Amino acid sequence: MATEAAPMDEKAKRMRDLLSSFYTPDPSISTPTSSISTSFDNINGPSFDADQYMDLMIKKSNLDVLLQRHVQMAAEIKNLDTDLQMLVYENYNKFISATDTIKRMKSNIFGMEGNMDQLLHKIMSVQSRSDGVNTSLFEKREHIEKLHRTRNLLRKVQFIYDLPARLQKCIKSEAYGDAVRFYTGAMPILKVYGDTSFKDCRRASEEAIETIIKNLQTKLFSDSESIQARAEAAVLLKQLDVPVDSLKDKLLEKLEQSLDGLQINPDEASKLAEHNVSSKDEESNNQGPAKIHEDAVRGFSEAMRAYREIFPDSEERLFKLARALTTTHFENMELYIRKRVSAADFLGIFREYSAFPPADVLLLSNSLRIIWEDVVLMDEVLPEAALSDLSAEAAQVTLKQFVARTFSHLQQDISDTLLKFDINQKEVVDGEVLKVVLEASGKAEFRQLLDENTGIFVKMNDLLIGWIQKGFQDFFSEKIHAGLILVLAQLSVVIEQKVIPRIAEEITASFSGGNSQAFIPGELCRVFHAASEKLLQHYIDTRTQKISNVLRKRFKTPNWVKHKEPREVHMYVDMLLQQLEEVGKEVKQILPQGTFRKHKRSDSNGSNTTTSSRSTTLHSDKMARSNSQRARSQLFETHLAKLFKQKVEIFTKVEFTQESVVTTTVKLCLKSLQEYVRLQTFNRSGFQQIQLDIQFLKAPLKETVEDEAAIDFLLDEVIVAASERCLDATPLEPPILDKLIQAKLAKSKEHNNNNKTTVSS
Amino acid sequence: MQGGSSGIGYGLKYQARCISDVKADTDHTSFLTGTLSLKEENEVHLLRLSSGGSELVCEGLFSHPNEIWDLASCPFDQRIFSTVFSTGESFGAAIWQIPEPYGQSNSSTLDCVASLDAHVGKINCVLWCPSGKSDKLISMDEQNLVLWSLDSSKKSAEVVSKESAGMRHSLSGGAWNPHDVNSVAATSESSIQFWDLRTMKNVNSIERAHVRNVDYNTKREHILVTADDESGIHIWDLRKAKAPVQELPGHTHWTWAVRCNPEYEELILSVGTDSAVNLWFASASSEKQASERSAEASRQRVNPLLNSYTDYEDSVYGLAWSSREPWFFASLSYDGRVLN
Repeated sequence: MATEAAPMDEKAKRMRDLLSSFYTPDPSISTPTSSISTSFDNINGPSFDADQYMDLMIKKSNLDVLLQRHVQMAAEIKNLDTDLQMLVYENYNKFISATDTIKRMKSNIFGMEGNMDQLLHKIMSVQSRSDGVNTSLFEKREHIEKLHRTRNLLRKVQFIYDLPARLQKCIKSEAYGDAVRFYTGAMPILKVYGDTSFKDCRRASEEAIETIIKNLQTKLFSDSESIQARAEAAVLLKQLDVPVDSLKDKLLEKLEQSLDGLQINPDEASKLAEHNVSSKDEESNNQGPAKIHEDAVRGFSEAMRAYREIFPDSEERLFKLARALTTTHFENMELYIRKRVSAADFLGIFREYSAFPPADVLLLSNSLRIIWEDVVLMDEVLPEAALSDLSAEAAQVTLKQFVARTFSHLQQDISDTLLKFDINQKEVVDGEVLKVVLEASGKAEFRQLLDENTGIFVKMNDLLIGWIQKGFQDFFSEKIHAGLILVLAQLSVVIEQKVIPRIAEEITASFSGGNSQAFIPGELCRVFHAASEKLLQHYIDTRTQKISNVLRKRFKTPNWVKHKEPREVHMYVDMLLQQLEEVGKEVKQILPQGTFRKHKRSDSNGSNTTTSSRSTTLHSDKMARSNSQRARSQLFETHLAKLFKQKVEIFTKVEFTQESVVTTTVKLCLKSLQEYVRLQTFNRSGFQQIQLDIQFLKAPLKETVEDEAAIDFLLDEVIVAASERCLDATPLEPPILDKLIQAKLAKSKEHNNNNKTTVSS
Repeated sequence: MQGGSSGIGYGLKYQARCISDVKADTDHTSFLTGTLSLKEENEVHLLRLSSGGSELVCEGLFSHPNEIWDLASCPFDQRIFSTVFSTGESFGAAIWQIPEPYGQSNSSTLDCVASLDAHVGKINCVLWCPSGKSDKLISMDEQNLVLWSLDSSKKSAEVVSKESAGMRHSLSGGAWNPHDVNSVAATSESSIQFWDLRTMKNVNSIERAHVRNVDYNTKREHILVTADDESGIHIWDLRKAKAPVQELPGHTHWTWAVRCNPEYEELILSVGTDSAVNLWFASASSEKQASERSAEASRQRVNPLLNSYTDYEDSVYGLAWSSREPWFFASLSYDGRVLN
């Protein structure tokens, strides 16, 4: 093949095409590749034209390239030839091995048919033999089956005949469950053959069953039996086709009756409690009715549970019952509250009243707690009845009523006391009453209400507080009495400081989950704090307004320019002190004492004291010298003194302490005094009068007030203002001043041997 | 005083109570103050804010024969002003003219234009008609209200009408309604009285005890601001005089004076005897924004007090907004310090 050189190219190409068409099973793959690479210089392409290729080569390349190309092509052709030879040999080998295999198969097939025939014959004989065996055993088997059936029938007959006796035995041993099972088993047979052969038997068994039913019914109705036993009895009765519904109705009726009995209980309890309150040993006796009540309710809930288990389909009726119970409970409560409040109304004497609210609240909270416990019990039994919601609602209403009533009552009470106060002018009594009312109404009420940390209270605490606040506002608009305002201020402080944290605590205790969004203690705290501050401010305002009126009258009326020689301390000082004393008393009774104690300032040598002493020395210096000095230099001196004195903070924030409130009031009054003085023009006597009054004021004011420096400063300011506004500022001689003050003191001692502290000026 | 807490200060030699904005001076921001000293020679200071707004310059210093309790600048002639003065025992009121080339000589004397001498009791204040060109004046003493007609060229003032408010009401001060030249509000012991100047009759009153000072809102009709001794600042709508439209807490002691800003209706300035000057923001009470009011009111409650200037060491009595530059105000404390 490779020997011929000239047509070698074409030959090789044909060969290759053939080979490629043979080896590539899918020509569609080979054709696109060849078509894609269609070009003249692609030797492997199907559209290769050797002549054209040659022409192209000759035209394009020089001799060297052509030679090189020639050599390369010759090598390629040689390679292809060897490849072809290899392929031919391999194909031949495969063909030879295939013929060998066919030859071997032919020899193996011989003799197979005979074996098959033999096998068929053997199977046929096996089949005929098994048929023979089957026919020979058939008769015996039939006989056995018959015998078995007879035996079963006999057994059944025996059972039915035994049934009465067995039932009796069951009755004796109270195995009603077995008895019912037996009876229901025998029922179909008895029904079919009962009229003929088993007549006696049937009658006897029915009798037995009747006794069983009777027994079961008694069992069902007897409360002494356990719930399970009763439930079983009910189930058995149902199996015996006894009309259970009528039974159920009967039972429920009975339950209702017992409920009626239960409702009487709270009434009795409240009556009892009322009685006990008036005999003033409520606590021990309160427990009695409560316990009775609790037992009753517990029994009720037990019964409920039992019925629920016995008659699972009768829930609705039970719901109704439970709801009725709670509503009647709350109705009772309302009635009871009304009674309580009106009862308290009749007792006009406030001292006795003061004992009442706690008892009242105690009772209320007790009964509320009881009800809540009941509800919880019942709720366990009947979770679907939504009793807790119902009762929460009802309790809300009740509490609302209660708070409203208490408030109206409180209001009335306070107005009563105020009336009395007006008549008697007994300040001490009034103050005590204020305190009592505060304690009674405030602490007792709120604390006790909130002490009851059952969930129901937690739910409605914020509501409660809302009402209370509203109550305050209503209250506030109607009554304007300074003491009252103070009480309210203190009350809100109490709420803020003690009640709210407690509520918050309880909320976190009872709802560890995220259920407490409705109640924001911080917010409430803020509200109450603001309210209390406002109230306090208002208190001070009203007080200072009063005093300011006194001062205004004092300064507007006389002609200061034509004032006469001062003979004694003016009346208004007394009035001023009296007012301040009043404030002090009120404050003392209501507000807590501050940390600043009065005796402290006597031994303290802080900056306060030094400034005050400096100012006083300056002042007395000035007093001593000013006899001889002219007014101008004096004025200059006061300015100088002012320069060196540190600026005293007059208007500080008011705190909830006795001292702070009194101090603020005094400061404001003195400032007003100063302003009034500045508006007037004085002659010498007028100035001396002012000087005398102020000098007299100094000692008692210092007694009452905590911030001595500020008071000193303000008193000095008044004198300075007076001297500035004076045409001829010549102060009184200290001895005369002393004398006049002593005279005044003696006079006031004479007038009322009160415990006014002696002054040494 | 633009937002900052430390203003421009100016010290008077003596105590003083009153300061007034010179409305007629359109070229400068000027104020007039008068001192209050029993024994010394009293002075009237003409203060001018320097062009840079950084300094308060004394442009004129004039001696005044008696201590000055009230001072008001004439709205149409910057050289004319009125004073209420006291000699210690008796009161008088007069209208003065600043002599022509003022500022050169210290303690030059003032020309007395007219003396308002129809009063017997304690004179409280003199009010200029706010309409500008009118030459009407009102002076008030404790019992009487006198309407004057001023003729500055003839240097005379004539009593036009006079009406007694009665012994029971001791008048203490007042304000002329800028929206209605015939209406004047006067404060008395127990109420605010509104007088009609044509008939000289008391036409209306708001029951309110111890009102110290009153001012009309120049931008909004019917709105009146009062300052009380005890209960702070109240904003009234004259058509609904039963209850105040809004209350502001005022000062820790008496609120002495209150003024509405001439340009920005929401701004109210008050001074008190607690040595503080408070700037309030009270945007409510415009009738057309009735629906907005609730929302706004809640916002106001958050902070109606915009700023409190507490640079003083003594009670602040005097207060005046600048009418030329509404963001300036002057306040005056008893110890004679003026701050802008």
